[in-house]
Amino acid sequence: MKKINFWYLSSFLISFVVIIPIITVGISFFEETSNYYKILKDTFLVEYILNSLTLLLLVLIFTFIIGTGTAYLVSFFKFPLSDFFKWALILSFAVPPYIYAYSLTAFFENYGIAYTILTNLFGEGEYNKIIPKVNGMFGATLSMTFSLFAYVFILSRASFLYQSQNLIDLGKNLGFSRFKSFFNIILPAARPAIVAGLSLVAMETLAEFGAVDFFSINTLTTGIYNSWIAFDDLAFANRIASLLLLFIFSLFIIENLSRKKAKYHFNIKGGFKQKEKTKLFGYKSFLAFIFCFFIFFMSFLFPLSQMLYWTIKFPENLLDLQIITLLLNTLYLALLSSFVLIIFSLISNYGNRVTNNKILNILSTLSISGYAIPGVILAVAFITFIAWFDNTIVKSLGFLSIKKVFIGSILGLVIVYFIRFYSLAFNGIKSGYEKINIAVDESAYLLGYSKRKTFTNIHIPFLRNSLLFIIILISLEIIRELPITLILRPFNFETFATTAYISASEDLLEAAAVPSLFLILIASFFIIIASKYILRENNG
Amino acid sequence: MDNFFEVKNVDFIIDGKTKVKNMSFSIEKEGDIVCLLGPSGIGKTTILRAIAGLQKIKNGHIKLKGKVLASDEINIEPENRNISLAFQENSLFPHYTVEKNILLGLEKNADNKDKQISFKEIVDILDISQILNQYPHQISAGEAQRASLARSLLSKPDLLLLDEPLSNVDQSHKEDIQEKLKKMLSKLKITTIIVTHDSYEAFYLGSKCGIILNNQLKQYDDPYNVYHLPNSIEVVNFLNRGILIPAKVTSPKSLENEELGTITGNFVKPFPLGADVKLLIQPEDLEHDDKSNLQLEVVDRKFRGTNFIYTLKTFKNLLIPVFVHSHHIHQHDVQEKFGIKRPIHIEHLVCF
Repeated sequence: MKKINFWYLSSFLISFVVIIPIITVGISFFEETSNYYKILKDTFLVEYILNSLTLLLLVLIFTFIIGTGTAYLVSFFKFPLSDFFKWALILSFAVPPYIYAYSLTAFFENYGIAYTILTNLFGEGEYNKIIPKVNGMFGATLSMTFSLFAYVFILSRASFLYQSQNLIDLGKNLGFSRFKSFFNIILPAARPAIVAGLSLVAMETLAEFGAVDFFSINTLTTGIYNSWIAFDDLAFANRIASLLLLFIFSLFIIENLSRKKAKYHFNIKGGFKQKEKTKLFGYKSFLAFIFCFFIFFMSFLFPLSQMLYWTIKFPENLLDLQIITLLLNTLYLALLSSFVLIIFSLISNYGNRVTNNKILNILSTLSISGYAIPGVILAVAFITFIAWFDNTIVKSLGFLSIKKVFIGSILGLVIVYFIRFYSLAFNGIKSGYEKINIAVDESAYLLGYSKRKTFTNIHIPFLRNSLLFIIILISLEIIRELPITLILRPFNFETFATTAYISASEDLLEAAAVPSLFLILIASFFIIIASKYILRENNG
Repeated sequence: MDNFFEVKNVDFIIDGKTKVKNMSFSIEKEGDIVCLLGPSGIGKTTILRAIAGLQKIKNGHIKLKGKVLASDEINIEPENRNISLAFQENSLFPHYTVEKNILLGLEKNADNKDKQISFKEIVDILDISQILNQYPHQISAGEAQRASLARSLLSKPDLLLLDEPLSNVDQSHKEDIQEKLKKMLSKLKITTIIVTHDSYEAFYLGSKCGIILNNQLKQYDDPYNVYHLPNSIEVVNFLNRGILIPAKVTSPKSLENEELGTITGNFVKPFPLGADVKLLIQPEDLEHDDKSNLQLEVVDRKFRGTNFIYTLKTFKNLLIPVFVHSHHIHQHDVQEKFGIKRPIHIEHLVCF
């Protein structure tokens, strides 16, 4: 009998489990829906789509300008604190859009912080009339832009750094101005990286739940949540989810088609010449500094100080919360899920590498699309699947219901986090693996190493730093994650994110400040550790 | 008695494409060095990978020390073959220093007392002592290749496979390393198959050379024979060291060319009297003689350090290469006349 290949089988099973919710969403598209579907189709569905599109477009434009602008400045020029901004701008990741939304509202609302500042500075006055109101679409756009631009910043910066001095010299040689060089050489060469960053922004924007819900904007994501929570219509929730998925995949296809056959090579080894940064003087230096500082202030210092202010102003909220429990819950979920993800992604990556099987490759490619699926959809799809499995298989076999094991449990949460963030872990490890020439594996075999020994003695030590980085990245995502945790968490199990959301949804923004502040601080801590890795990988 | 190593009727296939068909060759005794020569992309690396066990074969067999390593039914995993392959590209473990990488070779077959060689000796021979503390990404491609070679040698394999082992090594090091490598391999009696596209390297290192062309092993012989007695026009063209001129067989020891006249020598294989053949003329076959009445026009002159290769044009526009020692008393410029000594005698008459 032919020996079963352990690596093939494990990789296959892992990828298959991750694909289940995607398949579930696809199948549910054809299921019967309630009357709610008809009502909604005739009334709000167009609004959902238009709002999602508008929000997406605005956020993409602003994150592109801010992300590439700041990345260009810190990659090509020297000005006061330019080295500090290299990593400080990444700190904006610590502030999820919904917490940013709370800060914006609190600052600009009637008798809010802006009002207090003006009163303290200029005495009593009718300031509410002149303070702009940041809400609705404008508020959501700002929240998401400042919270998400770091995706574009990190990826375009990495790409700018790998652009050889030769490329820049070529522009000079052709007589291009700095402006023309930027638009004709630097930006087009960095296109894949910028597009990758924008794709992440697009997925996050379409998937965002907390901020749009807070600003009462009806998007496809809130539509899914409402059709499930308010109308108990899972089938329709899935139908909207399919629409959203279609939307996301269309974006990828359009980008791919628009690239045509253009190839983007980065000369990393041969002929690569490290760029020399241009030192800026006078007003140019000042403007570069002001721009970066403004973005740093708006994206990080502003929400942080807002939360800090409230925490100090209302210290009783600090005492009301069981901080240690929340901290432990948050870290427990983040670290447990990260480790599970790392272990399974490692096995699956190695399985793909050693078997080099086409079916497995296709399955893996499909399985990483989980990241494109909003958390709300995944949570709903997971519940749909478990309910179906429980009703049609488990109960028919005469076993006890398994719903409680998976829904409203840590196990269920970890599984859905696993599906949602599998692509982060899989792709992160994959890019680490791409640095290991296949000849390295083969050399190991020829030195007498078995596949297992090659995996444990050669690959794991080499990937150690990447793995640490991926753990931090996933933990960061889980700490900030809201809808999955909200829908699937066990009864009475709260994290900083859910506590902040619940307080905010009850209009107790001051009470939301304490968990938000802690969330920002923990996330910042993770980012600072991760940024060292990012900066080292990018060669400074 | 069994050959030490044997490949019999094997098709070497990669990605569903047959690179080399029905190949058979053998290495009679332990310690012999065999070189496989062929143009790029012909499948030389595929052959080494299949011998190492990194690719499977579907027909024929590969045997080492009398044991079948691979056939349509048997496939011994690479880690159990005791064959070492030094890759052309950098295959050092990226997270270990060069020294640690090389020492990993020692761990394999640590108890094998037959082929003892010290780490220091190998490091000196390959001239890599200055890079031992560096990581693979910090060294040049040539250094990585030598480090990889050191690791393979230290692993004391039954069969060593070298894929273009010195392709990235600069010329100044190359000949020196070739010489030391050959001595070391013969001292340790390590049976080796070297793949290269450098015919000089193959002729120097190999006790036998295989020429792979058009999906086949065209010739497998000792280097002298491969060079002087090529068995097909394809091999002649591949080695690119001569020209085929038309001639008519006039006796068992001579033939006649319209322009060069009578050429005497020993036919490598017999042809009937009066047969029209193509005779191989290599640069060393003709001698220069200023006083000769056979004067041809110089169309090109290549200086090769120790010698010149003149290209001469006959009246019928054949281009004939002629070797002249570089210390020859005078040089001939392009368009000048160049005398060929008569009568022409060529030791081996290679005809097709």
